[in-house]
Amino acid sequence: MVGGPDAGLADLETDMDFELNQDQEELRDSARTFLAESCPPAVVRRSFEAGPGELDPRSSGLWQEMVRLDWPALTIPESFGGMGLGFVELTLVVEEAGRALAPSPFVATLTQFAPMVREAGASDQAGELLQTVAEGGSTGTLAVAEPSGRWEPESVTAIARPAGRGWLLAGRKSFVFDGTTADEIAVVARGEGTTGSDGLGVFVLSGPAVPARALRVADPTQPLAELDLDGLEVPRERVLIEPGDPRASRAIGRALQEATTAMAASSTGTCGAIFDTTLQYAKDREQYGRPIGSFQALKHRLVDMYLALERSRSLVYFAALTISEDDERRAMAASMAKAAAGECQRLIVKEGLQMHGGIGFTWEHDLHLYLKRAKSSDFLFGSSLAHRASVARLLGLAA
Amino acid sequence: MRLAFEAPVEAFRRELAAWLRDNRPTPSEMKAEPALSTGHAPGWAKRWTRRMFDAGWLVPGWPPELGGRNAAPTEQLVYLEEMARAGVARTTNPQGLGIIAPSILDYGSPEQIASYAVPLLRGEITGCLGMSEPGAGSDLAGLTTRAVLDGDRFVINGQKVWTSGANHADFCFLFCRTDPDAPKHKGISVILVDMDTPGVNVRPLPDIVDPEYPELNEVFLSDVLVPAGNLVGTANSGWAMANGSLAHERGMVWVTSVIELENATKRLLGEAPGMLERLPIGERAEAATMLAGLFIDAQAVRCLGYRGFGNLLHGGSAPEQALMKLFSSEARQRLALVAAELQGAEAIQGDEKFGAILPLSTSDPSPWLDQYFRSFGLTISAGSSEIQRNIIAEKVLGLPRA
Repeated sequence: MVGGPDAGLADLETDMDFELNQDQEELRDSARTFLAESCPPAVVRRSFEAGPGELDPRSSGLWQEMVRLDWPALTIPESFGGMGLGFVELTLVVEEAGRALAPSPFVATLTQFAPMVREAGASDQAGELLQTVAEGGSTGTLAVAEPSGRWEPESVTAIARPAGRGWLLAGRKSFVFDGTTADEIAVVARGEGTTGSDGLGVFVLSGPAVPARALRVADPTQPLAELDLDGLEVPRERVLIEPGDPRASRAIGRALQEATTAMAASSTGTCGAIFDTTLQYAKDREQYGRPIGSFQALKHRLVDMYLALERSRSLVYFAALTISEDDERRAMAASMAKAAAGECQRLIVKEGLQMHGGIGFTWEHDLHLYLKRAKSSDFLFGSSLAHRASVARLLGLAA
Repeated sequence: MRLAFEAPVEAFRRELAAWLRDNRPTPSEMKAEPALSTGHAPGWAKRWTRRMFDAGWLVPGWPPELGGRNAAPTEQLVYLEEMARAGVARTTNPQGLGIIAPSILDYGSPEQIASYAVPLLRGEITGCLGMSEPGAGSDLAGLTTRAVLDGDRFVINGQKVWTSGANHADFCFLFCRTDPDAPKHKGISVILVDMDTPGVNVRPLPDIVDPEYPELNEVFLSDVLVPAGNLVGTANSGWAMANGSLAHERGMVWVTSVIELENATKRLLGEAPGMLERLPIGERAEAATMLAGLFIDAQAVRCLGYRGFGNLLHGGSAPEQALMKLFSSEARQRLALVAAELQGAEAIQGDEKFGAILPLSTSDPSPWLDQYFRSFGLTISAGSSEIQRNIIAEKVLGLPRA
């Protein structure tokens, strides 16, 4: 099924103005300053010291500070009580959250739950759910993947059957951010007997009502859980979009583009932190009477890391722009960004650890907190391998 | 951040496009008389450069008397994009227009501007850049070509190599050593040397791809006598010029390499379905993924360039020229390699040749294997990839010198 590129999607030629305006710069700088103060590695380490599911990120001082700063309202439309900022602004903040390894419900609530509610829900429904989010009154998350670890909606196998006034769910979800603690969970399931992108629907479950098991994960700053959906009932007013609604696949796809781009931004932020630390180490650490960063064997590799980072960041901003302007290339751009972010972490994690030498291999040094978050972020919402393949599909080069 | 520029720039773009439609050289005109090297300007190229100069479209950022129209930075960017898209270069002598003329304008005397820079801009003469020597490649400051002042003239002896277009150029912007006792960076000057001066001998060095159309040359200089007035700027200020001249049009030269990469990507994507069809099923997924990676690179190069440009407009530093050069040349090389590999048996059989590299054609129609070999011209010349990595490591990342 090799068809050649779609002319519109394969169009590279767009002028882009990548200049941040003053508000955007201030937002990024204030996010960075706030996170540096409120989320130092000592705070991050608490996630590593607690067992799976033991910490409720909602009760952390960090999240309460974020609520006080109105972060939950950032991109919620003004008509729903939010600040109505765009996806570019959200991307800048998420990149900073990734840089600080911030363990908080912020990413799942703002980049996964809120976009799905906005895209899939009716306006009054979305209004009600998002208003509470904007007020800091509830957190949310999104359950797409299952134990197979895929985020393509086509691979969803969880079933929704009509039952009485609502729907009855069956199946399991996995790799759900904050799955044991989120107040609201948007769940993607399909009508019985449907396959592919047909028959998909989205349901909102109340978190405490869902049997959830925290996964033991390499990176506890992004806590993940498995959900058991068997026998859960969803009343009609909690259905965002019904299985069989022809608009469902598109709505789910659009929400996933936002979540995927945000993961790419977060991962790029994490890689930026690893790179900065490694670069500084190469300047400070002396052997043979000079800084190891003066050796060409390290210099050239540091340049390649820098290039991978800038490549990833550029594509993340491009994807953010296509989403914020609702450009037709947003699916392609989101996959390019996540693929590039994955390629970036691959190089930066490897070289970051190698260049730190023995000290980076110790639990005491903070480096491993970042390495684990970067690895975990590559897998979540689709690895670079998965997204390169999806770029190939969008170019008409693969089935 | 946004996905397009402001409306006035779009008006500028339309004006240029309309002018190009009515004034550009025709493909048949270009084909009938191909440029033989980057030092050669065929009749149509001379007329074309002159037409652009007169209309203020040659270097839009400059004032009208120098072939421009005082265009703003965003307009200059749009200009380079449209030119590359149209597949029309401004000149067949890019080193003359892009490096030599601006350097003479910056550092040269009024006489040098009148008799070299302006005629070059009007398409009347071409220039070559005498930098590398057999013993001074990446270590340019180690050059030994010697110029000794003898009364009112210099006596020059030495040898240059890899001099692009020296086999056809009218004059050379020659880097030579004028103070052998100073530290090596501080004893270099630039002298303008007419290529027909007695004692200048050019030996072409055919390359591995198009040996019948040599572009690179050795230039031998023995007891070449040049008027003292041909010294550019002050004596021993050549190193600053080497850095300054190579940085000309900084912040924008990347546009051309971006669009060349995009054009090559488009050509490859057009051929890709056929390439994939010929592969066994088991090899297709990997091939498709490799192609996707190239597409991602092309988009990333563009985004990276525009981000740097945004910083420039914002009063920040110019896009890191070294980073753009490194990334785009290596991406171009990867693309040609993957294309040749996917082409398989066909790639090693191609005997179809397209003659001289037309600097006017930005979508290279030559075989992928040829393009792969030719791409080393990008990763070796004008500061090899290794030198670019050194520059980025030291100037951008602040790593200590070895």
